[in-house]
Amino acid sequence: MKKIVKAKINGILIRAEEGTTILEAAKKVQVKIPTLCKHPDLKPSASCGLCIVRIKGSNKMLRACCTPLDEGMDIITHDPEIVDIRRTVLELILSNHPNDCLKCDRNNDCELQKLVADFGIRQSPFTQVLRDLPIDNSTKAVELEPQKCILCGRCVDVCQNGQDVWALSFLERGMQTRISPAGDILLADSPCVRCGQCSAHCPTGAIVEQDDIGKVWEALLDPEKYCVVQIAPAVRASIGEAFGLTGKNMTKQLYALLRRLGFKAVFDTNFAADVTIMEEASEFEERLIKGTKPLPLITSCCPAWVDFMEKFHSDMIEHFSSCKSPHEILGVLSKTYYAQKNSIDPAKITMVSIMPCTAKKYEITRSNEMSASGFQDIDIVLSTRELARMIKQAGIDFLSLPDEEADSMLGEYAGAGVIFGATGGVMEAALRTAYYFVTGTELGKVEFESVRGLKGVKETEIEVAGKKIRIAIAHGLENVEQVLTKVREAKNNNQELPYHFIEVMACPGGCVGGGGQPYMVTDELRLKRAKVLYQDDTNKQIRCSHQNPYVKRLYTEFLEKPLGPKSEKLLHTKYNSRPIYKR
Amino acid sequence: MDKKIVLLKDTSIGAADKTKEYYSLILNLLRDQNLQDSVQVVRVADIGFYDQGLVLKILPGQVTYGRVQESDLLPVITETIQGNKVLDRLALEPNEKQLRIVLRNCGQIDPENFDDYIAADGYAALKKVITEYKPEQVIEQLKASGLRGRGGAGYPTWMKWNFARQVKAEQKYIVCNGDEGDPGAYMDRSVLEGDPHSVIEGMMIGAYAIGASQGYFYIRAEYPLAVERIQKAIAQAYEYGLLGKNILGTDFSFDVEIRLGAGAFVCGEETALLASIEGKRGTPQPRPPYPSIKGLWGKPTVINNVETLANIPVILLKGGAWFGKIGTEKSKGTKVFALTGKIKNSGLIEVPMGTTIRDIVYHIGGGMLASKGIKAVQTGGPSGGVIPKEFLDEPVDYENLQKLGSIMGSGGMIVMDEDDCLVDIAKFYLKFCVEESCGKCAPCRIGGFQMLSLLENITSGKGTASDLAKMRRIALAMQKASLCGLGQTASNPVLSTLKYFAAEYKSHIEDKKCVAGKCRYLLNYQIIPEKCKKCGLCLTNCVFGAITGNREQGYILDPAKCTKCGRCYEVCKFKAINKG
Amino acid sequence: MIKLTKENFDQHKTGIPAVGKNWIKVGMSTCGIAAGADEVYKTFVEEAKKKNLTVDIKKCGCLGMCYAEPLVEVHVEGVPQVIYGKVNKDIAIKILEKHVGTKMLVNDYIFDLSLTMKKVGK
Repeated sequence: MKKIVKAKINGILIRAEEGTTILEAAKKVQVKIPTLCKHPDLKPSASCGLCIVRIKGSNKMLRACCTPLDEGMDIITHDPEIVDIRRTVLELILSNHPNDCLKCDRNNDCELQKLVADFGIRQSPFTQVLRDLPIDNSTKAVELEPQKCILCGRCVDVCQNGQDVWALSFLERGMQTRISPAGDILLADSPCVRCGQCSAHCPTGAIVEQDDIGKVWEALLDPEKYCVVQIAPAVRASIGEAFGLTGKNMTKQLYALLRRLGFKAVFDTNFAADVTIMEEASEFEERLIKGTKPLPLITSCCPAWVDFMEKFHSDMIEHFSSCKSPHEILGVLSKTYYAQKNSIDPAKITMVSIMPCTAKKYEITRSNEMSASGFQDIDIVLSTRELARMIKQAGIDFLSLPDEEADSMLGEYAGAGVIFGATGGVMEAALRTAYYFVTGTELGKVEFESVRGLKGVKETEIEVAGKKIRIAIAHGLENVEQVLTKVREAKNNNQELPYHFIEVMACPGGCVGGGGQPYMVTDELRLKRAKVLYQDDTNKQIRCSHQNPYVKRLYTEFLEKPLGPKSEKLLHTKYNSRPIYKR
Repeated sequence: MDKKIVLLKDTSIGAADKTKEYYSLILNLLRDQNLQDSVQVVRVADIGFYDQGLVLKILPGQVTYGRVQESDLLPVITETIQGNKVLDRLALEPNEKQLRIVLRNCGQIDPENFDDYIAADGYAALKKVITEYKPEQVIEQLKASGLRGRGGAGYPTWMKWNFARQVKAEQKYIVCNGDEGDPGAYMDRSVLEGDPHSVIEGMMIGAYAIGASQGYFYIRAEYPLAVERIQKAIAQAYEYGLLGKNILGTDFSFDVEIRLGAGAFVCGEETALLASIEGKRGTPQPRPPYPSIKGLWGKPTVINNVETLANIPVILLKGGAWFGKIGTEKSKGTKVFALTGKIKNSGLIEVPMGTTIRDIVYHIGGGMLASKGIKAVQTGGPSGGVIPKEFLDEPVDYENLQKLGSIMGSGGMIVMDEDDCLVDIAKFYLKFCVEESCGKCAPCRIGGFQMLSLLENITSGKGTASDLAKMRRIALAMQKASLCGLGQTASNPVLSTLKYFAAEYKSHIEDKKCVAGKCRYLLNYQIIPEKCKKCGLCLTNCVFGAITGNREQGYILDPAKCTKCGRCYEVCKFKAINKG
Repeated sequence: MIKLTKENFDQHKTGIPAVGKNWIKVGMSTCGIAAGADEVYKTFVEEAKKKNLTVDIKKCGCLGMCYAEPLVEVHVEGVPQVIYGKVNKDIAIKILEKHVGTKMLVNDYIFDLSLTMKKVGK
């Protein structure tokens, strides 16, 4: 157990575990110390200088974000001098930030704007100095506008340390300091995997998701278009936050909402997740039983992970499931199966995906396989954050909407499909079906508690038909390396494989913590969102993908069988080694 | 009688140097005494005394006379040179203002010759320490010595070492900070170039005390010779078994590598330096944890400045108590300064702590360069401040300099005269910090920049009274809210000039005048008709068309067109152009 | 190369040959080199050879009197040891001819700071 230290904050006695920062401790006694650079999700960078406090009687000021509470400390968080210095710092930051609030993506949802309002800053005493730096929207996923950057360092931290991608870094120094890929190249030419964690952590509008709302409105208003939509598992668990509601499953309101927005059919990515499981579990069965391809099998439904693998770990391509990601599967099925069954010209279908993700925006054009239907399978991807804005634009009182159901054929899902949105969920769903495929019997208990939770790498062993199956689940790209290193070492030394099956999600927590999700995510919030998905699973009558009657129907009426020729053509893709830096 | 030598130099200030006249006089007198063959008279360039009139020094014997008059010359010859009698009324006390501990070997030994260092007692302290002392005893000696970090902050070295020693860790590091970067300061370069082994030895003693097995020299790449000499010295130490495994046959093992700094000033800051060694962007990190607890790659790390380490072997050899007797109550030992500016003898000096600024300027520095009076002394580089001439008799030590609004810093000392504009000086130092800010924290990055623009306004005649208040406000925010020492102290030159030279700021802002004549945009040029000889040189040299007229009617300067380049002022042979 | 040990260290030290009777040290740190010490050093070496003078030409670090670089310190038996400053090629030759050759000090270039600096003794 950790030592407890006793201290005072603004005269209030506090006991906290040793190592607790002054900032965290203050929160416990209802004192909010302002900060712009500290994100509860990240290590302190100590760059903004707003969280300064003082020890009573001392002239020196300390940063609350990174100074641990020490025994006997008597801390003052607010006094006239401290507040005045904070105001000066804020005014200084403002002097280096454009006054574009009204036209900014983050208007009304910006940490800097909020602080400026809190401090009641009415005028700028310092000359405004802005840098003329170009906007980088090369990735199709995120947009970098360095002029709005306050150099808090959050994006660089998540990109380098959290995601191990190292696309973003600081360039130059002093007032010339800016964030950019090393060598001043475009993000698209950098190692960037489009995970969007940078945008999810940015306090201002310096990095935002590429806004595709306009394209959706345009399609919806075009009488020639037949607009259909799908929502990813994790979106339902987080969209409520944009309207002040946390930990609430918004699936049915979302269906209603999307219809009101004008979509002709509302589908659920969860259905496609069930299809993914049919394919992926079959792949696993083949590799395990027939040894057609080497084990371990590695999941591929996360496009940022796919991009990362192609750039950094292309020696693992043979281990990759060739199965496309669920929303791509739903896309191709909507323009083939659904179009045929309902006699709709697939050329007229506009498929919109609502995703917790920014990488999906890039995924839809990443290779020819993403147009397996003969058309681009997904036309537009909106992130959760964009959908929230769209709801507000449409003037719909989202929280009061009545429940509605998804459209049939591509809407009904098993419990397995919805847990895709949490780390370990794909693995759990796959195991439920793989078990059945390998043994021919259904699982008694379908829950695999050991694959749930937020531990960076989760390892477990389960028995399938007398055989021990070792699995690993990694989320947050920084955790990938250690898992793959074990696989490589075993392969190089001809040892027994450490794992049979590996799930990787690029974002910490899986899609619930996706780069396109509402701001200010913390582990606490990730768990809350995941809980919504697991609850949805528990509430379902049908828990396993292979039991979903609509999935069965899809195979009987259209695809024939998993890994069959039609499935291979429509639902599977290929991978290529890609250069980390494009020239 | 042995052959005698008379060295002479006229040290008068403000008058023509009459060394040559005296030289002839003495020669004549010697000839009269028929001593011309047994006494050599030598004119010297510097005799080590200043403002003492004619100074004579008779060798051998070192008898030195000051304020020698013509009438004294004969008695000096007959009584001292011939009679070996010292004339007390003329005798000067030795001007022993300098004490060389750090620079003990600089200029004495060949830095590339290992045996030269050994012969100068090199590595004797190391041998003593690793064969006779326990680590705690080394730290005790350091504690007794009172040695404080010479990098600028003056943190007691023994405490740093003790923290690191007390942490249990399999790996510890010691780092020598050779990223000297204050403008005009080069003490560390000189030590690394002139006596590299002493720094290595100091580092090894530190390593032994804290339990480190690996050391790093972090030296800026702009010091190629220092790097080369340290490289050679390290190679020699390995050859002789003074680095590597089982040094001198004991259990102590230690390895050293060199890392080059790429020229960022901020990398002199401990945490930024460590980041740079680790191969990361050199930006400061929040403390705690302090490097002594969690430093390089998360391991306990002691970072000592070059000069600090060069002190160590002497302290261990002669004992901490001996060192503790030198200096003032809280500042022990000596300090090396790079003395520059408007001073005759610019260069490196080493003085005991507590030496007065006056002694440094007048008795070591040889006084002011030109006939202009001293205005202030700047210490501590861009983190320091100016000390006006009223405080010339203040002793130099950590506490006292701080009390005066400056700091010891790493040892830059710049002497300024009436031609120096203190607003301009403040601007110079602030500009340095603004350019060297790593850009990480907002108060330093933007605060420094904004303050500099205000100063630029003031020095170009656009300043307003509210600018000073704004500057103070920014300065406070930078001091209290910057992450590292660079930002926290960047405003010091501004604050100290505001404190002591408020009138200069005022005249820049209110009268739009720069008394020192430094701030170009505040200067006004005028042609004085009475002095003008109508030569037309100013007209031909003014490329901006600000001067009009002809040889008959004379010339007029149009202030509206004048860019204050000063060309006309420079070329006028008749001083007919007024600048002010 | 012998490895030094605690046993043989002192022996090695006493075995270091004493410095020659006559020597010239040239300050060869950055400040000296910037002021032309390289050429001065070369001149001493070449001219001493040409003139057949028995004098060791050595390099050393910075003496501190940077305003007077290049600095050389000259020790010739029977003549007081002095430091010459602002030495160039011509003065170097003069020092060899006069100071080393005829044991007479050279006018105008001596920087005699022997009474201003204490060194820590052994």
